[in-house]
Amino acid sequence: MSIDWITVLAQIANFLVLVWLLKRFLYRPILDGIDAREAEISNRMNEAVEAKDKAAAVEADYHDKLRALNLSQSEISETIRKSAEDQRDALLAEAAQQMKAERENWQAHLGDEAHKFTTHLHRVGAETLLSLTRKALTDLADETLEERMARHLVQQIKPMVEDLKKAAGDATVATVVSHDALPVPVQKILKAEILALCPNATVTFKTDSAQVPGLMFRLGGAQIAWTLDSYIEGLESLMEDRLNTSAGPKVVTDAS
Amino acid sequence: MNLSPDQTIMFEAWGLPVNATIFYTWVVMILLTVGSMLITRNLRPDVPPNRWRTTLEVVVQGIQSQINEVARGSSRYLLYYAGTLFLFVATSNLLLVVPGFEPPTSSLSTTTGLAISVLIAVPLFGITSRGIGGYLKTYVQPSFIMLPFNIISEFSRGISLAIRLYGNIMSGAVIAAILLSVAPFFFPVVMDVLGLLTGMIQAYIFAILATVYISSAIAPTPQPQKETP
Repeated sequence: MSIDWITVLAQIANFLVLVWLLKRFLYRPILDGIDAREAEISNRMNEAVEAKDKAAAVEADYHDKLRALNLSQSEISETIRKSAEDQRDALLAEAAQQMKAERENWQAHLGDEAHKFTTHLHRVGAETLLSLTRKALTDLADETLEERMARHLVQQIKPMVEDLKKAAGDATVATVVSHDALPVPVQKILKAEILALCPNATVTFKTDSAQVPGLMFRLGGAQIAWTLDSYIEGLESLMEDRLNTSAGPKVVTDAS
Repeated sequence: MNLSPDQTIMFEAWGLPVNATIFYTWVVMILLTVGSMLITRNLRPDVPPNRWRTTLEVVVQGIQSQINEVARGSSRYLLYYAGTLFLFVATSNLLLVVPGFEPPTSSLSTTTGLAISVLIAVPLFGITSRGIGGYLKTYVQPSFIMLPFNIISEFSRGISLAIRLYGNIMSGAVIAAILLSVAPFFFPVVMDVLGLLTGMIQAYIFAILATVYISSAIAPTPQPQKETP
């Protein structure tokens, strides 16, 4: 057991060289590689954390948007529902108004039809009454209707002749208006009777198709008339009474 | 029978004799350097590590963790130094199984050289860490009376390191050689296996003791406060 000091020095030098070589070719590359990998892992971890944070932020944003969307949807639904209700109310009001207007139109139309019917009934009733009266007078009294009307008019004029003259003032034209032209004998009778009551009058005869059958005497501004209006109205009320009593349901009971 | 490879002259270079200790030391150095170069030549961050690189990383990180257990917060220079000590001694001892190879660590000159390097490294690391004044103060700790004892302690550490490694490796090699001449078939194999084990243990002990000596010289780093209940 001996120590070779030259070998000792050589081994110290060899060892130092080996330290440098291993530092150059082993430790530094390996440690740098480990450091780089750790840094890469750390970066990836940081990136993962950032990505996780971003994902969390995106998720929160998504939830916020979803909540806002739901809120917006409910608001839109409420708005649509209110709009639909308003529109429904407007349509119902418009329909009610249309129905009211149609009902009024229908009522007016019904009134027109009733007026037309009443007018037609008047005319037909008057013609019928006139025809029946004329035939009855001819058959029973051998007189004409116009002659009877003329005599009846004269009978009406007589008690009122003074009042008529006062009302007529200075007028001297006496006019007899009828629906149809009066026969000449009737005109002569009337003219004679009128001249007997009013000697200064000038008697004229006129026809008016719009006038109800009958006679109308006019002296200046005063006038007196006999027409079938009152008879026709009486006939109408009489027919209505009869129709009302006959149109209702009748209960027939068997006495036996 | 030569007890030391120092006495075996392998060849002469430029008139200087190169003994087996130096020669096999160079062999170990070439093996370690070339192996490291081959493994770390394509070391790039974008290339995934292969099994050899992973093995080296495990070895280096193992050494680093052992050093950190002894000297917490140590610099990388301590890893370079103590790691090289371990790799050199371990590789020398492992090559004991190669027929004809004489481990340099079986030479007292090698172990003495390594012990001297430790003796030089301890004050260097201490001065680097504490400063020259701070390091010299450690020799008079806890009192001035301890100065001669501390100096003796420094030298005795180196001597014990050198003798321990040399004695174990040399004795293993010598015993294996003796048994090879007596019973050449069975016992040498057993002794070689035992030599591998003791060689690795000795490499570990040498490196860890050197680390302990150096860590005792460098400034202690503050330990993290543990939470007390």
